[in-house]
Amino acid sequence: MAMLPIAGNVIEAQPKLSIDMGIGFYEPTLVGFDQNETVQFPTKSIFNRNMLLNWGIYYEFFNNARIGYNSFLSYEIGKNILLINSEAVFRRSLSYRIFPIETFFRWRPNIELNFTLAPIWGRARIEMDTTPGDKTDDWNYFITSFGGSANPVSDMGATDAMVSDWIGYSSLLGFRYYVNTRLGVDVKAGFMNNQYKASEWRIQRQKVTGPELKIDDLPIFSIKIIYGLR
Amino acid sequence: MKQIISSILILGTILAKDENRKEYNPCNHPLLRLAESKGLKAVPLKDIIKLRKLIKDCEESGGEDQIKRLYENDWKRDYKKAKSMASWTSTHAMVVVVSFGYYFAGRVLATKPGSSS
Repeated sequence: MAMLPIAGNVIEAQPKLSIDMGIGFYEPTLVGFDQNETVQFPTKSIFNRNMLLNWGIYYEFFNNARIGYNSFLSYEIGKNILLINSEAVFRRSLSYRIFPIETFFRWRPNIELNFTLAPIWGRARIEMDTTPGDKTDDWNYFITSFGGSANPVSDMGATDAMVSDWIGYSSLLGFRYYVNTRLGVDVKAGFMNNQYKASEWRIQRQKVTGPELKIDDLPIFSIKIIYGLR
Repeated sequence: MKQIISSILILGTILAKDENRKEYNPCNHPLLRLAESKGLKAVPLKDIIKLRKLIKDCEESGGEDQIKRLYENDWKRDYKKAKSMASWTSTHAMVVVVSFGYYFAGRVLATKPGSSS
């Protein structure tokens, strides 16, 4: 019975769909990369450590509430990473996939204050292009079987990735300024807590230990442009 | 004879166009009516460019007040709908504020293990 007023409002409420794009900032400590003495990873900078690319989609399901999906992505790429047999291309991404429930109210006709609680499904991915010698032999053997010259391929690359998933949660307070009734600028600040474990990585269905990353207990700040589709 | 017939046809076409022009009023277009009654966000995305053109045409044909009212009502509609928090949303907002406050107060006030001595 207590849910009846909510159900009534859901039916009557005008559905509103909005998309957003922007950037976020945070300060993780990626110990496994920055203090790695064996492999020289790319030099850390604000772009590959502190900046997050952010996009999202929200649906207003109640008078003062939205649900949606938001993704914060940290990305890093490096070439000529010296390994035993290869000078590899290295790509690393940390993706914080957030499923927010956001409530809000209009303080002024064009100013909104919003409150977000969100579970996080995070994923880290390390991808490398290496040049294993035995792969070249296998391809040469295979291609030569069709005829033509012997050993046509001298260098082959292979791309493999190691992946780790974790869960977390986030809480954010936001301020939104509407430029017009469809378009707005949204600024948010808050924190996220990620239950990342270095021992829970996997590559080709095998469990391995990945880099030590300190991504729990992180303050986060974001700024984005919102566009109301309907 | 040919000249008379073609003159009549041309004259007829011109008059018909004038008549159409007299009947066309951008301020009465169904899209504009929809925006007025249900709000600008109720207009489908595919019709937005058309709506902008209609708004411009309407303003040019003396409907500035109507368009001004359209925008004002849209702001008012959104504001009225969202100016106070409904039902459970205020509880949710309080939970967020408390967790936010607790987290940042903890960052400022909490001591790290071993740092008290």
